[in-house]
Formats: sequence, C-alpha cells, structure tokens
Amino acid sequence: MGDLARLARSAAVWQGLAGIALFLALWQVGGALHLPMLRHVPTPLEVLIQLATQVHSRQYWQSWYVSGQRVFLGYVIGVGLGVPLGLAMGMSRTFHSASFPLVEVLRPIPPLAWVPLSILFWPTMEQTIVSIIFLGAFFTVVLNVLGGVEAIDVNYRRAALSMGARPWHLFWKIVLPATSPSIFTGMAVGMGLTWEIVVAAEMIASIQAGLGFMMWQAYVGGNIALIIVSMASIGLAGLLSSGLIWMLGRRLTPWLRRT
Amino acid sequence: MLGFAAALGAWHLTTAVLRLPLFERITPPVTVFREWFNRTPAFGVSLFTPVYYEHIAYSVYRAYTAFFLAVLLGVPIGLLMGWRQRVYRFTFPLLETLRPIPPLAWVPLAILILPGIEPPVIYVTFIAAFFATVLNTLLGVLSIDRSYFRAAECLGFSPRNVLVHVVVPGAMPFIFTGLQIAMGLSWFALVAGEMIAGRRGLGYMIFDAYNMAQIPTIIMGMLTLGLLGYTSSALVRRLGRALMAWRGV
Repeated sequence: MGDLARLARSAAVWQGLAGIALFLALWQVGGALHLPMLRHVPTPLEVLIQLATQVHSRQYWQSWYVSGQRVFLGYVIGVGLGVPLGLAMGMSRTFHSASFPLVEVLRPIPPLAWVPLSILFWPTMEQTIVSIIFLGAFFTVVLNVLGGVEAIDVNYRRAALSMGARPWHLFWKIVLPATSPSIFTGMAVGMGLTWEIVVAAEMIASIQAGLGFMMWQAYVGGNIALIIVSMASIGLAGLLSSGLIWMLGRRLTPWLRRT
Repeated sequence: MLGFAAALGAWHLTTAVLRLPLFERITPPVTVFREWFNRTPAFGVSLFTPVYYEHIAYSVYRAYTAFFLAVLLGVPIGLLMGWRQRVYRFTFPLLETLRPIPPLAWVPLAILILPGIEPPVIYVTFIAAFFATVLNTLLGVLSIDRSYFRAAECLGFSPRNVLVHVVVPGAMPFIFTGLQIAMGLSWFALVAGEMIAGRRGLGYMIFDAYNMAQIPTIIMGMLTLGLLGYTSSALVRRLGRALMAWRGV
C-alpha cells in the first residue's frame, strides 16, 4: 500500500498519464470531427463500452489465459536456451565461428515464415505456435547477449588476465555483470516480440482460441471496436510482461544508475 | 562454414536418410535445391522464372521503405526521449502502451484507414521497425555514464554540442543494435503482413505455396527471405562499423 501511495504522488506517473490522455483526447476529437483517416474508427468512448461488455464474458478471459500460456512457454524456453548460447558465443572464439553463421542464416528468416513448415512439422497446432514464439524470443536474446559480451571493454579482460584470472573468474566477475543490461534488454525486446508472434500466429494458423483469434473473428465480423479492444488487451498484456522484465532487470543490476 | 555444412547435413540426415517421425513431411534439401535451380520448376517458381524476382522486388521495396521511414523518425525521437527527462516522462508510458500492440494487430485497422494495398503493408512494417529503433536509441542514451554529461556541462558545452559529442556517439552502439533488430523486425512484420494482406511478395508466395501444399516452394521462400534478411543486417552492421571506427571492432 505504501508503494502505491508513493506511486500516486510521483510526478512521473502523472506526466505519463497526461501523455496518454492527450493521445486519447486527440483521437476522440478527431473522431468527432470526422477526419477522413478516422472515418471507420470508433472513438475511445465506443471502444470503452465494448471493453465493458467484454470484461464480463468468459471467452475474453479465456483468450487471455490461452495466449498467455503459449507466450510463457515459448518465452521461457527461448530465454533459457538463448542466454547461455549468447554468452558462450561471446566468450569462445571457436564456438562463435562455428555457430554464428548458422544463427545468422536462420535468424533472418522471420519467425512467421516458419508457420507453414511448422504446421507440417509439429503434430499439434499448440506445439506449432509455441515453437514459433520460441524462435522469436530465442534469436532476439542471443543477438543482444552476444552484442553485450562484444561491447565489453577489452581492457577489463586484459587486466583480469594479467592478474591471473581463470576463465571462470572472467565469466562471473566480468562477462556476466557487464552483459546483464544487454540480457535484460534482449529479454524485454523478446517479450514484446512474443506477443506479436502469438497474435499473428493465431491469426494465420486459425487456431480456435486466444487473443489473436478473437481479433481475427472481430475483423471477419466487422466489429472494429472489438478489434481495438483486442489490440489494447494485447498491448496491456505486453506492457505487464515487459514491465515485469524491466523490474527484474532493475533489481538484478542495482549498480546501473537509472533516471 | 562448418556451421552451414552441419545444418545442411542434419537437414539431409533427418529428412532423407533417417526419416525421423516428425520430419517425414519435410522435403530433403536435394529436392528443394533441384526445384530452386530448375529451368522448368514443377511448382512454377525458381531462379529462372520472372515471378520469383517480382516477389523479391515487392518485398525488398516494402521492407526498405518502412525501415528508412522508421530510422528517420525513430532515432531522433529516441535521442530526445533519452536526453530530455521531461520528454521521457511524458512519452515513455504512451510508447510502452502502444509498443507491445503487435504490428500485425494493426493490419485490419490499417486496411480500413489507409488506401490501397501497399500503404497498409508498409505501415505495419514501419510500426515494427519504429518501436525497436526508438527503444534501443533511448536505452543507448540512458546507458551513457552521467559523468560525461556533468563533464560536458562543466566545460560549458552548448546543448547542441552535448548532443553531437556526448549523446549521439554514446548511444551509437545501442542505436546500431537497434537498427539490426529493426531490420529483422521489418522483415518479420513484412512477411506476416504479406501472408495476411499482400497480393505479392515472398510472404504471399510462402503462404500460397502452403495452401497448394508445395513444400519445396515454401522452403525456397524461407531461404530467400533469410538471405535477404542476412544481406540487410550485414549492410547495417557494416555501416555501424564504419561509423564507430573508434571502437576498433
């Protein structure tokens, strides 16, 4: 409770809300003025009414749960494999030259381009979607971690080596602390990506549940307010998840001064 | 090179030699390459058919248009947000609310708001690249040691000089990480956008091939995308290296 009260008193929170409020107000006014771009777009109020009805439907929360479960599974596997691989690639030159070309060949293939092949490959649609989410999180994390290791000032390594550090010391005392900001950047970006992928995959693979499926149904049914509710829900889901990652990152890298 | 060979070997082994249960429906590499380099391809798309290059041209045009728009807008916005705390406080929550909305969730709205076929696909691609650019640029500025700013102030730098000598060079490594991610994301969103809304382009080609069960063409499209994506990020990386000569990577 104390945290909440402090939050409510901080100027940063109110300024952030003001930014969002301004955006919504412009949208509402633009809709009321019948601007050509916003002709088919419902105003924030209409979207809010739609949201109010959705909150009472079981199907809406079911969509949250199903999509969230897929994201969580694919993300955890992606981070769990991506961080060690990125660190290993950054630390060992041999491992780097053996695996980097492969990563570079597979990484640029957009995750969603894997959808058709994954559908053929995996026995169930559920596995298909989780594997696509995994791909998205995995490569983002690997690239960021690798970039983080490579950005370490060579002098730290030299200093440590000249003082007789073992590779293990290098890892725990230099590489891991220096890389942790990049790890969390990669994790946060990857988290944003997983929500993009789950929704797109649900739309393309036409699976029978999830927020993406809900949105696609709304699109087919011409319910634009529900489309926007879905967009906002996915945005919120992503915000909550990436907020969690940032919080974790801040707690684990206390030596970085943040504003 | 060894990595390539190992991957190709594994692909061949799992699909053609061992025929593992999950892999039985995947085409072996030999079949794919035979189709790719065939003058009269069984499924109508190969290196020798104009339609292949038409798909490529459309995808490249869309991806690069969106990417450059995103960089042009995203880098300055990110720099400003990282540098000026007031701007950061007012805009960051809005950015974080809009950012996780998947580019593809914009497809239906984009079709309704924007005229024609090209603008919605390019817009969706732009959205994807834009947020990655802004976020990484912002993080780059935040990662700069505060003492540099204090030192610059002590030395009486004008805001312009702080921007040119502290903010931009300090954020540069992150910006280029961001641009690489943005380039990847452009292709990512582009493909999905083309799958859902496009009439041409590699994403459309893959999805069309999927609907017709032409697996060699699917894999051909994926590899082509990989190649284009790789070339694109290699270009970004080379540019980054050229602009950050002081890091001597």
